[in-house]
Amino acid sequence: MERSGFLVQAVKRLVTGPPVYYVWVLVLMALAAAGVTAYTKQVEQGLIITGMTSYVSWGFYIGNFTFLVGVAAAAVLLIIPAYLYEFGPIKEIVIVGEALAVSALAMCMMFVTADLGRPDRIWHLLPGLGILNLPSSMLGWDIVVLNGYMFLNLFIPGYLLSKAYRNEQANMRFIWPFILLSIPWAVSIHTVTAFIYNGLVARPFWNASILAPRFLASAFCSGPALIIIVYQIVRRYTRFHVRDEALFKIAEMISVAMAVNLFLLAAEFFKELYSDTHHLSPLKYLYLGLHGKGVFVPWIWTALVFNVIAFVIFLIPATRKNFATLNLGCVLIIVGIWIEKGIGLIVPGFIPAPLGEVWEYIPTGLEILVSLGVWAIGFLIFTILLKIIIPIETGEFTKVRAAAASLQHMGVRS
Amino acid sequence: MKGSVGIVKVVFLMLAVACVAVLQSWAPGRAQTRDYGRLPDQEPAVDAGREFPVPFAPLPKTITPCRACHGPEKDFPINVTRREDLLVHRNIQLNHGGVRVWCLDCHHPENRNFLLPLSDGRPITFERSYLLCGKCHGTIFRDWRNGIHGKRTGYWNGEKTYYLCVSCHNPHSPKFKPLEPMPPPHKPWTPKEKQARH
Amino acid sequence: MSEREVRNKESLANPEPGPDRANLPESAGPAQENLLPNRRTFLAAATSLFGMMAVSSCSWQEFFQNHFKRMSKKEIDETIERLRTEYRAKYGKDFTVGTEAPIDGTLFGYGLDIQRCIGCRRCVYACVEENNQSRNPQIHYIRVLRFRDGNMDLEESDIYYNPEEVPEKGYYYMPVQCQHCANAPCTKVCPVRATWTEPDGIVVVDYNWCIGCRYCMAACPYMGRWFNFTDPVIPAGEVNPETHYLGNRPRMRNVVEKCTFCIQRVRVGKYPKCVEVCPVGARKFGNLLDPNSEISVIIRTKRVFRLKEDLNTQPKFYYFFAT
Repeated sequence: MERSGFLVQAVKRLVTGPPVYYVWVLVLMALAAAGVTAYTKQVEQGLIITGMTSYVSWGFYIGNFTFLVGVAAAAVLLIIPAYLYEFGPIKEIVIVGEALAVSALAMCMMFVTADLGRPDRIWHLLPGLGILNLPSSMLGWDIVVLNGYMFLNLFIPGYLLSKAYRNEQANMRFIWPFILLSIPWAVSIHTVTAFIYNGLVARPFWNASILAPRFLASAFCSGPALIIIVYQIVRRYTRFHVRDEALFKIAEMISVAMAVNLFLLAAEFFKELYSDTHHLSPLKYLYLGLHGKGVFVPWIWTALVFNVIAFVIFLIPATRKNFATLNLGCVLIIVGIWIEKGIGLIVPGFIPAPLGEVWEYIPTGLEILVSLGVWAIGFLIFTILLKIIIPIETGEFTKVRAAAASLQHMGVRS
Repeated sequence: MKGSVGIVKVVFLMLAVACVAVLQSWAPGRAQTRDYGRLPDQEPAVDAGREFPVPFAPLPKTITPCRACHGPEKDFPINVTRREDLLVHRNIQLNHGGVRVWCLDCHHPENRNFLLPLSDGRPITFERSYLLCGKCHGTIFRDWRNGIHGKRTGYWNGEKTYYLCVSCHNPHSPKFKPLEPMPPPHKPWTPKEKQARH
Repeated sequence: MSEREVRNKESLANPEPGPDRANLPESAGPAQENLLPNRRTFLAAATSLFGMMAVSSCSWQEFFQNHFKRMSKKEIDETIERLRTEYRAKYGKDFTVGTEAPIDGTLFGYGLDIQRCIGCRRCVYACVEENNQSRNPQIHYIRVLRFRDGNMDLEESDIYYNPEEVPEKGYYYMPVQCQHCANAPCTKVCPVRATWTEPDGIVVVDYNWCIGCRYCMAACPYMGRWFNFTDPVIPAGEVNPETHYLGNRPRMRNVVEKCTFCIQRVRVGKYPKCVEVCPVGARKFGNLLDPNSEISVIIRTKRVFRLKEDLNTQPKFYYFFAT
């Protein structure tokens, strides 16, 4: 009885909303359908429909995956500043962050699966049934930490929300250790992802100690920026309450993270340009072009410009506290980090190839469609989660009310 | 009747050989030589008792055995002066060592079925021509013996065939001829071609 | 603040179950709430399984095939039979798919005489034929780099040279293929151990276990690994039916492949095809553990070097200069 009440009410909540909500969901579903269609084409013909070659064997999918792992990590890491700066009701902030983390993780897993040549053999990764190459394979570790993180991000909110739904007291002594565990775990997922690239001796662009710190710094930029936008949307359409000061504090934190990110980038520039060895070539390809090939040069410079502008916006209190510029800064930083850390990190790692050749990579239309589809599915998941989580948190969607509503629906007076 | 003709032939042959031998010993500027009219029983390699598994020497079929023309029956005089006009062997372009080497520096002057002798006097057969090449190209010969130079086919842990020097190097013009290379690999699709495909 | 928020803030301050759990409708308890119904779980698992099989476009035996090193002799024999049937159907020839084990006491080493190589690429195409590589899209295990005299700058090298004749004046040639490193970065990173180093030093791939993630390709510093982005195309007349399971048997799409030192040949004592076909005898192969093998003599008597030695991959591919 209770379950059907929950489900029925949940579904009702999912299909009701302001007109913009319908448009949003329908657009996402259309994109998701397009993505799935493109993916079936890929399954049919093989990875040849992508722009990847044996020279640049990772591309758009893995670029998006890298970016989204950062988002997933940062979403939960907001717990720390939320707690330190007393943003207010920490659990609310944390839960929305965890919902974002779940959607970002789902997108990560979908991107990795889309990139796999043989997704039918994915069971080979299960320890026991298959073989998981621990401890030496960083991808093996990544699978462990991503799945563990997914579990934490489903379990903690699931527990808290189920308690809230039933108007029960959450046992903080029980759940607090899990919340505490999720903080270093969030750091670890992004560090392990960085280590996937970091440990490869064949790719000097990645084989630099600066990679893992840069990952964390840029994750702290993009994830919270997305959260700022999400919070504004959420508090506009629901009874969810987030103080302005909390948003400004997050923006201030982003400016620090971006400062670190830019400093690390400058450090990379110095090391490569001053030493002037062959290890300069990937950076040269990215920012200047190499041997006449430089399809990414305009993109990376755009990303750099966006990042610097966003940094300035977040740094100056006047622009930080003005919602117009704040949102502009958020969008700029998300796009900038997406370019720089996504495809702007993956593809130059492969150029030049280990034997010196320079072959470029551009994602094909089908590849972009699949990626759009994955993003759409991720946002759909996020929308669904928020549509259910927020009302539970604000107390509108509880078991009592659900039961009452279903009784009313059945014509029985309460 | 047949028997007596045969005996006469043999006697005449022996006389001719003897004359040739005497004449040879009187030829100006020649060191003392031995009689190589007979085929030696076996030709051991330099490393005592060791033979190399080589294929047959690639001799041209039309003019071998050399002795058929350069034999005592035909009575060509042995002329050791370097010259270009080789009558029958005009097709040979000698391009080996410039002025340092010419025909009789490798081919046995007295018995063209063999190559120059080793220092102990034993002539070198065409099947063991590497011994001759190794006289001047000692380091290469050592490498060839050890498998570093040259080509081998067969089994890395069993029977092999060592290609002779002359299997790859024409002894008259040993420098490797350039080959036509096989086609270069395909280039991966450039981004433009990739877009054009889809 | 709503009632909820007040309660939550209090609970955070006093992390203990508060006294006011009263006056609530009877709850069914957490156990039943969190337990998914069996029917649903089964349906989800079954759907995903069938979904995976649907996208796999392979037989169910191939789908469930175990890792080569974990299969029993019987399973291996069954797999070989299945493969032979497939190949006969596809290419019309009777294939042998060997599973020869490493020969005791062997560790293979390869020598390449840069002084002699003339860049004719006969090794490249002999390898393609011997190892059943795809012609379209084209895969070559061996890449012949052409350097200008005086340096060995990989970025200045050229693989696409196409003169009338080789060797060309002012250049030298250096073929590169999988180096079968003793400290291979590729085997370290494979998430499913589909690639590993055999006891005789050959780095192999189990094509039926590879999931196509291409991590090993990112890890290889020598461009030794190649990916089948689509179904490989081998002209039926040119296919080589003498194969090894870990070597040159025809591959499928979306898996990684590489030079295997012609495992199908060297484990029965023959030279790799590239060694046999080289017209100038620039390629040498042998057992590093045998002091009299050609490669051991080369290492002892000639000056050898290996590519990218600073990466500590310890390749088995020794470049040398004979004279």
